[in-house]
Amino acid sequence: MTFALFVQSAIVGVSLGSIYILMALGLTLMFGMMHIINFAHGAVYMLGAFVIYYIFFQGGAPYFAAFVASMILLGVFGYLVERSIYRPIKGGIEPTLVALLALTTFLQAAGYPVFGQLDKHVPPVFPGTRNILGVGISVERLMIIPVAAALVIALYLFINKTRLGAAMRAIEQDKEAAALQGVNVHVVNGLAFAIGFALAAASGALMAPIFKLDPMMGEQPLLKAFIIIILGGLGSVPGAILGGLMLGLIDSIVATALGAEPAFLLSFVFIIMLLLFRPTGLFGYAS
Amino acid sequence: MLEVENLWVRYGTVEAVRGVSFSVPAGSIVSLIGANGAGKTTSLRALTGLVKPGAGAARFESRSLIGLAPHQVVSLGIAHVPEGRRLFPKMTVLENLTMGAYRRSRADVASTLTMIYEHFPILKERGRQRAGSLSGGEQQMLAIARALMSRPKLLLLDEPSMGLSPIMTAEVGKIIRQINALDVSIILVEQNAMLALTLAQYGYVLQTGQLVMQGKAQDLLRDEGVKKAYLGL
Repeated sequence: MTFALFVQSAIVGVSLGSIYILMALGLTLMFGMMHIINFAHGAVYMLGAFVIYYIFFQGGAPYFAAFVASMILLGVFGYLVERSIYRPIKGGIEPTLVALLALTTFLQAAGYPVFGQLDKHVPPVFPGTRNILGVGISVERLMIIPVAAALVIALYLFINKTRLGAAMRAIEQDKEAAALQGVNVHVVNGLAFAIGFALAAASGALMAPIFKLDPMMGEQPLLKAFIIIILGGLGSVPGAILGGLMLGLIDSIVATALGAEPAFLLSFVFIIMLLLFRPTGLFGYAS
Repeated sequence: MLEVENLWVRYGTVEAVRGVSFSVPAGSIVSLIGANGAGKTTSLRALTGLVKPGAGAARFESRSLIGLAPHQVVSLGIAHVPEGRRLFPKMTVLENLTMGAYRRSRADVASTLTMIYEHFPILKERGRQRAGSLSGGEQQMLAIARALMSRPKLLLLDEPSMGLSPIMTAEVGKIIRQINALDVSIILVEQNAMLALTLAQYGYVLQTGQLVMQGKAQDLLRDEGVKKAYLGL
């Protein structure tokens, strides 16, 4: 592997890792507060990408407007899912998982008649390449990094500096005690669904101009996000960030050097090795 | 101020509380005593909406509490310090206190905090420390102070002496008297019946979910049955 190729795949790895991080943060937030794994996260990523296809490509709106619309629409959808699926189940974890799995299957199956059988393509938003250390990098991929970083910082500030953010942290530590301080747990859980869904939509919206669109496109990033939150420690935000970057780099550098299959295999070898020595993940703690 | 009538609570197939009635006059300390599993904790949990009672009525200042969610009960002026303190261990002492005032405006929080620090100077000192790193006694102080941050009219205290040394227990007793002097009514649930009946004006004795005795605290302290069963005398 030449130096140029290494630099290129490292930067692509960070870009890919940024997408993984956005996916994993929502998952880990929802797991931390409600102890549920949102299986629908991949389907939401897919819908986020299709919003870009319809509003930006078909509708001709500016990309930025379509990106914001994608986050808002799916954020509202997330709140409604809490309202209509999670809340009536009253905290039952297994029934919630089954319901979310059903929702995923429904959204994917409905995607074919609604979006059509053929793959969709979104034209580049930031065409061309940029020269970094003598290596040409796609601007499209580069742009993902600052956008994802801005979203991560915004989420960090929200969770740590606002009253609602404090309520989310309180629920994560003790749901009943949070309710006894006056937190409306349903509404704050709904907010976590909304944030998780909006971040998944942002991931799909950022990837829409890079990958082809089809109703199953969310499966791969969902699997990656699962690996990351286990790697980073369930419920841990720093763990999701570090895990996302590591997996993005493995995926990109190993795939460039050895091919896609070894990279896929290696990411599992890596996680098994890690869990052998640290069963709670990088930042996890035994409960 | 609080009237509870014929309260029934079921956990699965177990009737944890069976037809309990009690009342709390404004400004008083009332205590519920009884052994483990007598239904004391469950009664409190039913009042603040943590469990749904199967039957019965509970009125606070003539408003019904039945069917309200915990956050609505807080807004009415009832604060609940649950069994085991239930602090937010990863938050700082100050963050825990701020959570206690979740439904109040920022200006109110600042003035209440000043009042709290007068009664609990140790919490000001420990403000930036994580709640989980405090000693048991300090944690109990913080749990009570957090509840006071909502400026309740009625405070429910569940086993505040649990796991504390005799010196700390006496300290908690002193604090409970001070709070009551600020015109906050209190329901005190305790396995330490001596502490509870020394502080309270009136007491109720629960046994396997039912009310078996009630009376003025000083009369209960002299009662032979209570002495044998709950005071270890």
